[in-house]
Amino acid sequence: MGKIGLIIKREYTTRVKKKSFLLMTILGPILMVGFLVGAIWLGQQEEKDLKILVLDDTYVLSNTLLQSEKYHLTSSQDEGIENIDAGKTFLKESEQYDIFLYLPGNIVSGNASVGKLFYKDAPSSNVQRHLENIVDGSIERLRLKELNISNEDYARLKNKVQLHTIDVISNEEKNVGMRAGVGFIFGLMIYLFIFMYGIQVMKGVIEEKSNRIVEVIVSSVKPFELMMGKIIGIMFVGLTQFIIWVMLSLALTTTLSLTVFPDLMNPENVAQTTQVEQVAVGVTVEPVNSEAKEVGKEFQDLIFNQIPWGLMIGLFIFYFIGGYLLYGSLMAAVGAAVDSETDTQQFILPITAPLIFGYIVAAMAIDNPNSVAVEWCSQIPFTSPIVMLVRVSMGTEGLSWAIVLSMSLLIATFIGTTWVAGRVYRTGILMYGKKASYKEMFRWLRHK
Amino acid sequence: MTNETPIFEAKNIVKEYSGHRALDNVSIKVPKQSIFGLLGPNGAGKTSLIRIINQITAPDSGEILIDGKPLQRGHVSQIGYLPEERGLYKKMKIGEQAVYLAQLKGMPKKQAKQELMLWFKKFEIDTWWNKTVDELSKGMAQKIQFITTVVHRPQLLILDEPFSGFDPINTNLVKSEILKLRDEGATIILSTHNMGSVEEICDNIALINNSKKILDGKVNDVKQQFSEEKYIIEFKGTGVAFANAIWGGWEMVNNEQLGENHASATIKLTGGTKLNDFLKGIINAVEIQSVNKVIPSMNEIFIRAVENESTSKEEVTNENTNQDG
Repeated sequence: MGKIGLIIKREYTTRVKKKSFLLMTILGPILMVGFLVGAIWLGQQEEKDLKILVLDDTYVLSNTLLQSEKYHLTSSQDEGIENIDAGKTFLKESEQYDIFLYLPGNIVSGNASVGKLFYKDAPSSNVQRHLENIVDGSIERLRLKELNISNEDYARLKNKVQLHTIDVISNEEKNVGMRAGVGFIFGLMIYLFIFMYGIQVMKGVIEEKSNRIVEVIVSSVKPFELMMGKIIGIMFVGLTQFIIWVMLSLALTTTLSLTVFPDLMNPENVAQTTQVEQVAVGVTVEPVNSEAKEVGKEFQDLIFNQIPWGLMIGLFIFYFIGGYLLYGSLMAAVGAAVDSETDTQQFILPITAPLIFGYIVAAMAIDNPNSVAVEWCSQIPFTSPIVMLVRVSMGTEGLSWAIVLSMSLLIATFIGTTWVAGRVYRTGILMYGKKASYKEMFRWLRHK
Repeated sequence: MTNETPIFEAKNIVKEYSGHRALDNVSIKVPKQSIFGLLGPNGAGKTSLIRIINQITAPDSGEILIDGKPLQRGHVSQIGYLPEERGLYKKMKIGEQAVYLAQLKGMPKKQAKQELMLWFKKFEIDTWWNKTVDELSKGMAQKIQFITTVVHRPQLLILDEPFSGFDPINTNLVKSEILKLRDEGATIILSTHNMGSVEEICDNIALINNSKKILDGKVNDVKQQFSEEKYIIEFKGTGVAFANAIWGGWEMVNNEQLGENHASATIKLTGGTKLNDFLKGIINAVEIQSVNKVIPSMNEIFIRAVENESTSKEEVTNENTNQDG
């Protein structure tokens, strides 16, 4: 085993043996799956029934407002309330009522009318939307009556079109948004790993420099070998952790969905949480179940048929390694240029800025996958590791050249940054007791 | 001895750091199986030279020869280096990291373990193998650093302030180990401010000041070179009689009454006076008991050489300014 192999081995084993690594590796997926399950579970919890006092200045709406299981509407007249101030005072003192809904007289006249909702405990956006839908429905029915249109005619008027997107070249049906979402998750993971392990590289360099072992080691190996050994060793730690996370997460979700929550992961149930939004116009309350099944099928289709997993995972590993080497080498240079961790701020900011920018562009790409920003950022090596996978997840037709270009640029750039970092590193690690300036670091590049 | 190729030779080494010349045409020769003292004030350029020998940096010009051959990467395993700024991994078991450091010097793992165990026993720290540095005292850590420097049996050992941080007992232990290593064939370059130990164990020295070598040679030769016409004379008789016996050509540096009618005087001969003539002059005034030449200590030599350097430099600059004016 060469000397660089020895360094890689030491960097790897000392980190993997640490208790914190074990803890993170095991707790990570448990927490992730736990949050996911918790979120779904919470979403399924019944919201409590609401008692709502309605002051209707139009005098025509309140009779047509639809009651539902959870929303109990009471006209203010029943409580002897005639104006808005009385209603507010009443709500404040009342223990029964949760919400006071005020519908001004002009609410029926325009197309964008405004009502008021007074509360004691802030209602969720679901509640707000639901009440808006109820009022909308009433106004619609009022106007139907005015225009002399029967409910049946109206039901026939109302239509809901869904556009299924089909790629003309592959003739595949795709859900572009959802696929971009999957790509984004990959990009997000690369982003997190570059951040976490880049910082570890920097800390490792600072540790060696501040405890002064570095001079002993560079008398045995070249500074560049020491730096690369550290970067590569930590990269393997990252890959190990990633692989364990994926396997543990898969195992956990499978066992959980099969045993503890057999129906939780069922797409029908997942879809139900969105049901609230679907109530819409009360005239024709369609059975939502068929739609939920549709969504579930689509999801399964997405997971099993549309995402090119082999390619995605291959590219994920490539972009993870490429991006990590690029940023990791820069982080190593930062570690070498400073004397203690407190000095790093000034140098870290310009390094993390493009990383964060890449993350933002990747998030934007979910909505607008073909924008110019996404195209450019999937080529620029400082952002491509995060952005490119979002593009790839939406299909690779016509993308081959872009992927090849992006990969080549990334390789060329990380070779460049590694060279620069090696130069800064080799001088920086032996400068004790002071923080280097950018000017000095630039001078180090030219040292013999 | 002179015909033999020196184990280490630096030829006209020049090294500059962004405008500052750290080493200016420095040449030194270190004979095989000797201890060589590399001396000089802080910032003189010693560490720069040591880093060049260890191939941590490269010289701008000049050449380093090891056993007559130009220095190259493969020499790493033949050199042991104990830097002044030294440390260990705090969280790593000391046995493990000693093995790791030995492996980096090219030792096979198994052999490294065996040899290290022997050294650990010799330094009475074999029970510490599985401890981390956090749990050690500074002296213990120093011992481990010394061991990791020598365990791969390097031909050339470079020790930068090896005694700092040791108590007198461990200083002696390290000193005797250094001598033993030399006797077994190693050559040692010792950089230190501890002049006492230089006198004790060094065979040759070089003094670097302001990036230049200002003095080198065998310790005894250097001492002779720096000795003045200074003598300690012990005699029976009074100081007054001694002082009045001879006029001119000498000066009294120090005198001490040792007892009644018994004294010693330290004198310095000036103006080319011969010791013989001086003794002839006083021999009738007092009864001479012993005459000893005063040999300067390395400490004195160090200070005088460095101060001479800086005063002659000042003279040069003064001359320059005069010319300018």
